[in-house]
Amino acid sequence: MGVLAWAMVGLAIWHFTIWMPDRHWGGIVGALIGAIVGAVLIGLAIHGFSIPGRHNTHLITTVEGIPGALIGIAVVYVVGDRRERARAAEA
Amino acid sequence: MSSRQRNGLILLIVAGLIAASAVVIAIRPTVLGLDLKGGIELVYRATGTPQNPKVTPATLSEAVQAMDKRVNQLGVSQPSIQTQGSDNIDVQLPNVSNVQQAERQVGNTTRLAFYDWEANVLVPPTGGAKPQFAAQGLATQDSGSLTISQGGGLAPGQSSTTAGAIGLYQAAKLASQQPARISAQGNSRKGPEYFLFGKPGSSACAAFAAAHGTKPVPGVHCLITGGTEGPVQAIGESVHSAVYSGLTPAEIKGTQLLTVPQGWVVVQGAPASFAHPLSTWDPTAGYYVLRDDAALFGSEITNPQESTDQSGAPAVSFGFSGRGANAFQSVTAEIAKRGSLASIGSQPINEHFATVLGTQILSVPQIDWKQYPDGINGAQGAQISGGFTVSSADELASYLRLGSLPVNLTQISNTTVSASLGAQALHQGLIAGIVGLGIVVLFLLAYYRLLGVIAVAGLVAYGIYFFALIKLIPVTLTLAGMAGLVLTIGVAADANIVIFERVKEEIRAGRSIRNGIIEGYKKGLSAIIDANVVTIMTAFILFVLATQDVKGFAFTLGIGTFVSLFTAVMATQAILLTLGNSKTLARPSALGAGRKHHVWRVDFMGASRYFFTLSGVILLVGAFAIGGRGLNLGIDFTSGTQISVGLNHPASVGQVRSLMSSIGEGDARVQAVTGDKALGPYGFQIASKYLSQTTFDQLRSDLSSRFGIRTNTVGNQDLNRNSVGPTFGATVEHSAVIAIIVSLLLITVYVTLRFDWKFAVPVLIALAHDLLISVGVYALTGRVVTTDTVAALLTILGYSMYDTIIVFDRVRENTRRMPNAAFSQIVNRSMSEVLTRSLATTACTLLPVVALLIFGGTTLKDFAFALLVGVASGAYSSIFIASPVLTHWKEREHGFRLRRERIIAEHGFVPAYAAGAGSDVDPERAAAGAGAGKRRRAATRLSEPSPEGVSAAEFEQMKRELGLEEEAAAAAGAGRGSGSTRGAAAGRGSSGTGPTAGRGSSAARSQNARSEPARSETARSAPGRSQPAAPGPAGRPGPAQPAGPAEESADFQHASDATSDDVVMPDQPRPRGGARQPRNKKHGRR
Repeated sequence: MGVLAWAMVGLAIWHFTIWMPDRHWGGIVGALIGAIVGAVLIGLAIHGFSIPGRHNTHLITTVEGIPGALIGIAVVYVVGDRRERARAAEA
Repeated sequence: MSSRQRNGLILLIVAGLIAASAVVIAIRPTVLGLDLKGGIELVYRATGTPQNPKVTPATLSEAVQAMDKRVNQLGVSQPSIQTQGSDNIDVQLPNVSNVQQAERQVGNTTRLAFYDWEANVLVPPTGGAKPQFAAQGLATQDSGSLTISQGGGLAPGQSSTTAGAIGLYQAAKLASQQPARISAQGNSRKGPEYFLFGKPGSSACAAFAAAHGTKPVPGVHCLITGGTEGPVQAIGESVHSAVYSGLTPAEIKGTQLLTVPQGWVVVQGAPASFAHPLSTWDPTAGYYVLRDDAALFGSEITNPQESTDQSGAPAVSFGFSGRGANAFQSVTAEIAKRGSLASIGSQPINEHFATVLGTQILSVPQIDWKQYPDGINGAQGAQISGGFTVSSADELASYLRLGSLPVNLTQISNTTVSASLGAQALHQGLIAGIVGLGIVVLFLLAYYRLLGVIAVAGLVAYGIYFFALIKLIPVTLTLAGMAGLVLTIGVAADANIVIFERVKEEIRAGRSIRNGIIEGYKKGLSAIIDANVVTIMTAFILFVLATQDVKGFAFTLGIGTFVSLFTAVMATQAILLTLGNSKTLARPSALGAGRKHHVWRVDFMGASRYFFTLSGVILLVGAFAIGGRGLNLGIDFTSGTQISVGLNHPASVGQVRSLMSSIGEGDARVQAVTGDKALGPYGFQIASKYLSQTTFDQLRSDLSSRFGIRTNTVGNQDLNRNSVGPTFGATVEHSAVIAIIVSLLLITVYVTLRFDWKFAVPVLIALAHDLLISVGVYALTGRVVTTDTVAALLTILGYSMYDTIIVFDRVRENTRRMPNAAFSQIVNRSMSEVLTRSLATTACTLLPVVALLIFGGTTLKDFAFALLVGVASGAYSSIFIASPVLTHWKEREHGFRLRRERIIAEHGFVPAYAAGAGSDVDPERAAAGAGAGKRRRAATRLSEPSPEGVSAAEFEQMKRELGLEEEAAAAAGAGRGSGSTRGAAAGRGSSGTGPTAGRGSSAARSQNARSEPARSETARSAPGRSQPAAPGPAGRPGPAQPAGPAEESADFQHASDATSDDVVMPDQPRPRGGARQPRNKKHGRR
């Protein structure tokens, strides 16, 4: 259940990347992967790489997915931005 | 065969099939599922035996055959025994009169085994001695061994301490102290067995005795786990949950767990008389510990019959199979040999073999070593005698005749549906179906008028074929299946809508009615096939992987989709084409293809950021609901027992609750049910933790004696039970996850093959969006998640895909048509073209689903709610999620990036809709034209196309491809403006006599502004030259017109490939009364 909450919060936050310039590595799909993977990984890390079960999932579990999603999106954005700059410099 | 003959033949086939279907419907009965007519459903999990360590499809099939024989003996009509997944067997027994007997008989895995008695029975040690086998003790004249072997006054193996038997706790403890002895041939049980005992006088024993209506025996350990059903095996679950399930921590404290390893069995001594046998695992009976090394099993005996022994007492005689006979002779020879050796130097001793049924010793006959020194010839058969009555001997013979199962079975779910509740569910389902169909019919008639009548005719044909197929195959109609049926009504109507919208577009584009119908069906078909293939694939996966309930749903969905393909495509086309020659369809307005009242001019891609934000917020709320509230999982997932019962006499919730407490289920939730006809005025719903069969029987008996249980017309008690063991929920969950993964994989492969892999990713994202929103809504509303919910969610996969594929199909088509447009423009145009269809199809699906929600019973409402959320979310995501994601991704491609940069360079931003020359071509004709360059040059004269051949727009397209306009322009003189060139072309068009002439002229005017990229560049670089004049009347020469939607009139109709988008130049003044071009901000960014 914990993974479901993290993945869902990752997917939710990804929707807001529509307001960002499209410079993510892999585009909007790259941002999606970054958000979900980030949310799940950080969520897992917070819980010592164990998945909270049905009875151990709380409101805070969902909140724990938010920083991961933001970090994931940021990483994908930074990588994508650097690549675009490099490509522009080459051109 | 001419077109008319072909249509006539199809209509003849349709009519013939309707007649045949009517006959089938009249003569064949409808097979109703348990939930519609009552009965019991038992789900077993199969596990390996030492002889068949792995459960294979072959062993599972063998088990089904054996169970089928048992069910036949019950006299149940229309039973259903099916394998489910890799290791489950689902048994459905409608209208059974004796539920208990059915449960006892069908899944009984008790096996008959023959043991060499003295070689395997363990003599309880005395003092500090080590336990030894009786055969070893006989050699040393050990008294304990002699007692167990010779009986000490009673028959050996009899349930008495005088025959060497010990108490249950002592036997289990002795067995638990032995090392495992694993033998693939001789072991009757695989894996360890767990005995949980309560200490004498403990609260655990007291609570257990109270729950089972027994009295604790003073000074004796009571067996708790499994109650009177004996020890348990942890199959597919942890030992803790298998053993301690249902016990409170306080009760667990006074218990002791004993683990008997594989290779040892605790068996109950034979009763003195089978007329009055002690119950299984009776604490007062005598027990023995046997090494589980059977010489042969019941599977090696043949023709068991009730007979009499030499003294005339009832007995069971049987023969042996070839291997069985050899094994029998071999073991009896060994026993005889040992008996002769043990008799040396002492009085003669005969040793024995034991026949054991499950854990109950039947008899322990001796082998006279003097009479049979070489053992007993098994070819003559054998006999079990001692203590039988005629009926008990007959019962044993019957049981043996049914054959043993090649696998062990554990019951993981038990559902009992009363007949009257089933009838009520059927009634509700029928009402919901009829209302759903009626609403769709009304919608189609109101929206499509004449086309609606044809669609309704198609739906009626669909309904008749579908019902006939259900009876013919036959398909067991369940509540879930009825939900599938109602959903397919929407799907069938969808197919009509997709085609009708296409037909209308073609006719509006200038085709004749007949050609519009043909082209509309041709172009609509690919989208429908793509969408339906995905739905069928999802249904197939559900059918293969999901649980039995879901299978019924998947099957009806699959069949319905197939049938709808025939009725919506073939039948309605034949009707339309036949009518197309008549006066009924003489005018386009009869098909609703007159003036288009509303043209969507929304900048979907520009607005997508707002829709994305909305979805993000919804998902965020859902995510917090999942975290904060969690999912309210039903007993299908959490295990437990749910009972609905109608009582004869008034009872309060408190009284029923106290009754539950008296059987040890004080935590049960009891609710009074009012307004339920089947349950009557005193209806109750009881939810508790998993109730064993014994506890359930106790509850039924208590309810019956205190309040009376309503009986239905066939005399059975109206008591619904749904008991789900802890492993069943895991099975459902597992199969759902597998089904989702396989569905997604197949969908990805299919979309990649039919479209492009980049189309597959947005589809998956949209599906995830739909599923998660549905899950979020369930968490938010706190509705119970059942297996039906899972089925509905899986169906959403297919349906959401259906809608997305329809949109993507148009995007694919327009991508080829618009070689210069930005992808966002292509998508915007595609969306504007299919939005009406999407809204209509969504309405057509949602309307029957709403009918299900309002009129369906509890189960159908569960389905309907999930479908309602999923279908609405699916329609939304196909437009506002999948397409924008596709746009964003595709616009990163080099080609589309260049297009966008070019458009921005020209206009300063990317207009929401494609504008300008060269934005729109017919790819097929362009390709054909490119391949026929020589012929193009050779053409010197353009003649009017056959009215039946191409539309006006295509006619103009052909002219452009043939380069005749340029030639005409060159002939007219280089100094003349483009207006005169267009005038010449239009003039030729207007000289035609066919019905397309006037439209052709109009179209020519609009098309000329975008004939080729080179020309459009010229037009853009010199905007003054392309300033249009006011539109002239049809057929008259005139300059190119900027045709916005507001300027469209009944006599000015765009071709499908010549919409107003294409002639509105961004640098032209805004047309009078036309809507302002929405600016795509996102894509307009520099």
